[in-house]
Amino acid sequence: MQDCLEANFSKMLGNFHLDVSLHLGEEIGVLFGPSGAGKSQTLNVLAGLVKPDRGKINLRGRILYDSASSTFLKPAARKIGLVFQELALFPHLSAIENVAYGLKGPNKWRLAQKWLDKMRLEGLYERMPHQLSGGQKQRVALARALAPKPDLLLLDEPFSALEGPMRRALRRELKNLFLEIRIPILYVTHDVEDVCSLATKVFLIRDGSITAAIDANKLWDPQCQENVWHSLGWGTLVQGEIITEEGNHWLSWPGGKLKLLQPTGPAKGKVTVFIPPDHVKLLYPDLPVDPELRPNVMEGKIIERIEMNHLVRLYIHSAGIEWHTEHPKDSYSTLNLHEGQNVSFSIKPSMIYVLTQECDPPR
Amino acid sequence: MTPSFIVSLKVLIIDVPILFFMGTLIGWTLAKKQFKGRTLVDTLVVLPIVLPPSVLGLYLLMTLSHIPFIRESRILFSFPAAALAPLFPSLPIMIQAAKSGFCSVDEKLEQAARTLGDNELRVFCRVTFPLARSSLMAGLALASMRALGDFGVTLMIAGNIPERTQTLPLYIYSRVESMKFFEANLAALLLTILGIASLSIVKKLEGKHAGLS
Repeated sequence: MQDCLEANFSKMLGNFHLDVSLHLGEEIGVLFGPSGAGKSQTLNVLAGLVKPDRGKINLRGRILYDSASSTFLKPAARKIGLVFQELALFPHLSAIENVAYGLKGPNKWRLAQKWLDKMRLEGLYERMPHQLSGGQKQRVALARALAPKPDLLLLDEPFSALEGPMRRALRRELKNLFLEIRIPILYVTHDVEDVCSLATKVFLIRDGSITAAIDANKLWDPQCQENVWHSLGWGTLVQGEIITEEGNHWLSWPGGKLKLLQPTGPAKGKVTVFIPPDHVKLLYPDLPVDPELRPNVMEGKIIERIEMNHLVRLYIHSAGIEWHTEHPKDSYSTLNLHEGQNVSFSIKPSMIYVLTQECDPPR
Repeated sequence: MTPSFIVSLKVLIIDVPILFFMGTLIGWTLAKKQFKGRTLVDTLVVLPIVLPPSVLGLYLLMTLSHIPFIRESRILFSFPAAALAPLFPSLPIMIQAAKSGFCSVDEKLEQAARTLGDNELRVFCRVTFPLARSSLMAGLALASMRALGDFGVTLMIAGNIPERTQTLPLYIYSRVESMKFFEANLAALLLTILGIASLSIVKKLEGKHAGLS
């Protein structure tokens, strides 16, 4: 596929070094990595909101940025649509005024209306953002970004605030939209499900650098997958064998057994599973355990505790491997978590991703 | 009372637009721009609020009487000085209100406007200003009332000359000095009504602001 977007740039942000190189064709690229890896900053640089220190950015033959010739196109001239994590709808403007914001000329209202209809928001033209539901706001934000016909669409974890079913519905809509408008889309997320259901190309980002750029179908290819997931340096990989007992699927591994949902890929044999850190739940010693979590309870010892901006990351040693966990700073405060402490934890079967070739998340 | 009322009205007609434009400009700069010495400017700008009016007036008197052009133009103790004086204690109120109004506008919204094709001026006119408008108007109402009610600074640099520099607050003082309480009370009542009116405007705007966010 011919590349539409070619970006190579570096930028120092305090102590953080962002060094990104990515190529994207007319496809959906997902930028996947842990919080604080530089995902949002990458989008800001591409959109022109942050000026990099050096490098070059090309979009459909247009030079957006080139440090060699001191070219720097302002965001207004880049023709890049950006959907923010917080959506950033203009609170003083109605839905249709938001969508028409980037449009010019006598047809702008008709065009804005067309976009709202396309997003199934007929009859909500005059609603103010605070009168819209979460999903409706998402759609307005998408319509606003797409209405001026950008050459590239950037999405910064746009669905992170939504519940499961709504997320899935919006993902499908985004995919359908892509088939219609055919522009490169770069989607930032730290959710494995987003990767599975949207991506045609995956960029793994860690500590400010892209550590791997792979076709989405290869992500689940047993030949190369482990290197790929290891290069992410985030989340836990467990190797074992899928077994079936009394109609249930289990991962049997040297440290014990983990209950799985019905895997969509090969139902037996040696596999690797990926466990996202934000889905490893710590358990309170005196409280009853959620039935869903009960089969997978494990004991371990905290070997490292890292406090980040809003997150706490723990490395727990259990059954010979290191488990990565992540939780918001204000959670589990009564557990008084510290290094050396023994804790029990568990993972919902639905949050254990079997790395098979089938790129379909468990439901 | 009428001549003093007219003097006060003239002062307001001149000062309100100045308060609005200068306050908005300085407030916006302090809220959105990074520059060297910003903290210093930030502090200097509020200083007139905490200084006693007589101190402020004395400094102004000293400064203005030493600047050659101003010294020769004889604006001290004439109407221009009466128009200038209230700006010093009231402008900081407008600047503070504008600054906090502009600070409360989420930067993401301005960035969104930029990615949608707006240059800086259009971002200001279409996003920043409309979203800060109720704060600006509330600030303007308070600052205007402070300007209308100024006593100390006006007295220090413009004096208390009937029909020229005698504003309503100075008129009240003069009437009380000559034991004419009825007229003093009448003028005081007028100022009180205006004060209540401007506060009710502020309340209304604050309510509107809260509804938006």
